[in-house]
Amino acid sequence: MHRLLSFLLAVCLAGPALAQQSVVKTDNVRAELVSEVSEVKPGEPFWVALRQTIKPHWHTYWKNPGDSGLPTEITWTLPAGAKADPIVWPAPTLIDVSGVINYGFQDDVLLLVKITPPADLAGPLALKADANWLVCDDVCIPEEGKFALDLPVGAAAKPADANTRALFDKARRVVPTDSPWPARFGLAKSGDPTLVVDAKGLKPDTIRNVYFFPAEWGPVASMAKQTASVTAEGIRIPLKKGDAKAAAPSSIAGTLVLTEKTGDGEQRQAFDVVAKLDPAFVPSAAPLTASNEGESLSLVEALLFALLGGLILNLMPCVFPVLAMKAAAFARLAGHERSAMRRDGIAYTAGVLVAFGAMAAAVIAIRATIGEVNWGFQFQSPIFSLLVAYLFFVVGLNLAGVFEIGGGFTGIGQGLTAKNGATGAFFTGVLAVVVATPCTAPFMAAALGFALSQPAPQTIAVLLAMGLGLALPYLALSMTPALQRMMPRPGAWMDRLRQFLAFPMWASAVWMIWVLAQQTGPDGVVYALGGMILIAFAIWLLRLGSAGTLGAWLRRGLAAAAVLLAFAAVLKLQDGPATAASASGGPSTGVSFDGWERFSRARMTEAAAAGKPVFVDFTAAWCITCLVNERVALETPGTRRAFEQTGTVKLKGDWTNRDPEISSLLKELGRAGVPLYLYWAPGAERPKILPQVLTEAAIVSELQAKR
Amino acid sequence: MSKVIVQRRVLLLGSAAAALVPVSAFATSDVGKAAPAFSAPDSNGKMWSLAELKGKVVVLETSNQDCPYVRKHYNSANMQTQQREAAAKGVVWLTVASSAPGEQGFVTAAEANELTQKRNGAPAAFLLDPQSKIARAYGATVTPHMYIIDASGVLVYKGGIDSIPSSNVADVPKATQYVRVALDQVLAGKPVTEASTRPYGCTLKYGNNAA
Repeated sequence: MHRLLSFLLAVCLAGPALAQQSVVKTDNVRAELVSEVSEVKPGEPFWVALRQTIKPHWHTYWKNPGDSGLPTEITWTLPAGAKADPIVWPAPTLIDVSGVINYGFQDDVLLLVKITPPADLAGPLALKADANWLVCDDVCIPEEGKFALDLPVGAAAKPADANTRALFDKARRVVPTDSPWPARFGLAKSGDPTLVVDAKGLKPDTIRNVYFFPAEWGPVASMAKQTASVTAEGIRIPLKKGDAKAAAPSSIAGTLVLTEKTGDGEQRQAFDVVAKLDPAFVPSAAPLTASNEGESLSLVEALLFALLGGLILNLMPCVFPVLAMKAAAFARLAGHERSAMRRDGIAYTAGVLVAFGAMAAAVIAIRATIGEVNWGFQFQSPIFSLLVAYLFFVVGLNLAGVFEIGGGFTGIGQGLTAKNGATGAFFTGVLAVVVATPCTAPFMAAALGFALSQPAPQTIAVLLAMGLGLALPYLALSMTPALQRMMPRPGAWMDRLRQFLAFPMWASAVWMIWVLAQQTGPDGVVYALGGMILIAFAIWLLRLGSAGTLGAWLRRGLAAAAVLLAFAAVLKLQDGPATAASASGGPSTGVSFDGWERFSRARMTEAAAAGKPVFVDFTAAWCITCLVNERVALETPGTRRAFEQTGTVKLKGDWTNRDPEISSLLKELGRAGVPLYLYWAPGAERPKILPQVLTEAAIVSELQAKR
Repeated sequence: MSKVIVQRRVLLLGSAAAALVPVSAFATSDVGKAAPAFSAPDSNGKMWSLAELKGKVVVLETSNQDCPYVRKHYNSANMQTQQREAAAKGVVWLTVASSAPGEQGFVTAAEANELTQKRNGAPAAFLLDPQSKIARAYGATVTPHMYIIDASGVLVYKGGIDSIPSSNVADVPKATQYVRVALDQVLAGKPVTEASTRPYGCTLKYGNNAA
């Protein structure tokens, strides 16, 4: 009787409590307090969210609202011992209201809050929240809602229905992850900070819409336009200082947002960044403008930029030995007729332009077949690196005077450059471009990014402008007798200068071998250095004794064999496994194989045929989406446990260097690139292609399906 | 070797940047520097220019009568009280309507006078800035956005009216009234301690003016 009474009492009390609303509808927002669990376990934290479904074109605000507006606030009323953490904010979007910049949310947003119920919770957990938010389109309306949610208590937390869980899963995906890269900032003399995120090895032309959302009002102005530049060395964002009058900050916090073009689509990624002041880094006052925003650079500007870039290329250590050779040739020509001089200059310019034209054609061809191309693409090929290293070495030997070209010795294409007259000048131009490319790759990536992202005619125009810039000083020299008179007289200094120039040439060869080492590992270095010895040996043989005798023929045969052997290294390199660290990226973090087997098609089909579940992760060191998937979905404790429990064979394919086996598989599956995730359910005939954006829940449910 | 190259790159980008500096539609006003000049008619047709106000302390208040944050400070009488205090101390308080025509907060001369009467306001003048020229010169982003210019024409304060960014009238007595504090300091010849604070309010309605 007594028990019945208390039961009735409980029902009467619970009735109105359950009727309390978790949904509030205002003029502009439908707001709902939702929980990821339908029953809570005492003491065990769980997640709730304030979900705002916002009228089209209206927006609510992020924790830093930007130039105007106010963030949504939630005030909790909780039973004693319960705790609500601060809101975990999703990455905001930038909303431009006639030039006033707001940071906020449109359409649908979940503001996540972690709730910890008391350990001694007996009855249902009563959550009460007073929320207020400002919602604006061009006018602003403050709105509010009172929410109540009662959650029954149970022995274990019970997950909410699948739709609600999917909602939370999606919401977590748009919460920024901690930045995988260190960040720092420097202050210009004006006090404007420049943020640098040391994300090495990125592919600049796959990254767009880079924006830094400062976490708070004060240190950084939100109204100023941001023009970020992305290079293989990292992301650089010149900012304007904000209105806070306090002394310069020692750190700047915020959220870095970018869009990455991946194998099949575009992914928006967000990272929480805390940048420390780097006192040694003083950015120049003028904002560095780069190619990140294609529209901001008109074609005319790009052409000027390219011309200037080409001119400056003349000063690069890789190029100036060749140009010094050219200068010496000019000095020798001094006193000849002016027309010979002019012909020489024009032929040289033609050589440069043809070489740049060929490069543009290669870029366009690669883009048509692979879909995207990054400057430095040629360095993804170890063969190219090896051949350029050889070329540098041989040119160095020639400069040093080990051999002279012309005495019947041809065979290496470079011999053409010594031919007299226009042909020689033409090939000197080609050679100048070939030796210039390694210098352009890492150091002018930003400038070239524009050319590569444009349609074919623009690409050609920009590259040709760069070539014209490279040729311009010599063209001008050959056309202007006044300048020619200023050239020093030919003499012994020319030989000495020439010999000296062998050293920077060899230094460039060393650098190319380092690049090769990144691509192929120590084996490649052995082949390259061995090849150089063979080439040197061949040259030595050819210079021995007089021509015409039997011995001379024998030596020629041997030399040819040695050179062939040196070039045979190319075949070995092709077999060698490609490793991480793209050439232009310098010391990259690379792809980690911890807990994963290296992918091979044989291993995959064998494991799948044996009826084992197989998970394949195709990734690359430069792929940001891959990195984020690893951090939020693939390498979480929950996913690892699920992999282990199901005995899944985990294979990882590294596409950093466009491994041909992986390329062919991607092509079969109709993919242009990574990330790509395949899952072979136990006994499955064919793999399932998983979404490009992974969540822990998605993987776990995939692994546990059909069991 | 690499050091040399890096310098070259900076040279390259730096020289190219000169031609590519982005143009902003907005100016910014810096505390401690000369306040941007302006001249505009008030609701009675009188022209006001900052240059002619030299020797007097000037307050600028951007206004949009339908913005909840402006209403907060008029409904609580906070704004009008401070306008009267300022007038009593010889300060020239200018309310500025910078909303573009067709946007919320745009007023005609007659509407502005009616508004002052209805709100019991006491500004020295209600300036009409339908092309948002004043707002743009000062880089104003919200209503109310507050500025104080000292007798020598130097901007000495910019930011919010007070310290609690909300639309709740009940917060007014709890907040530090930044403008009042700053005005007292300026009139006493002292430096302003909180000279730049976070402005809060509705987005200033530039409309197509800002383009």
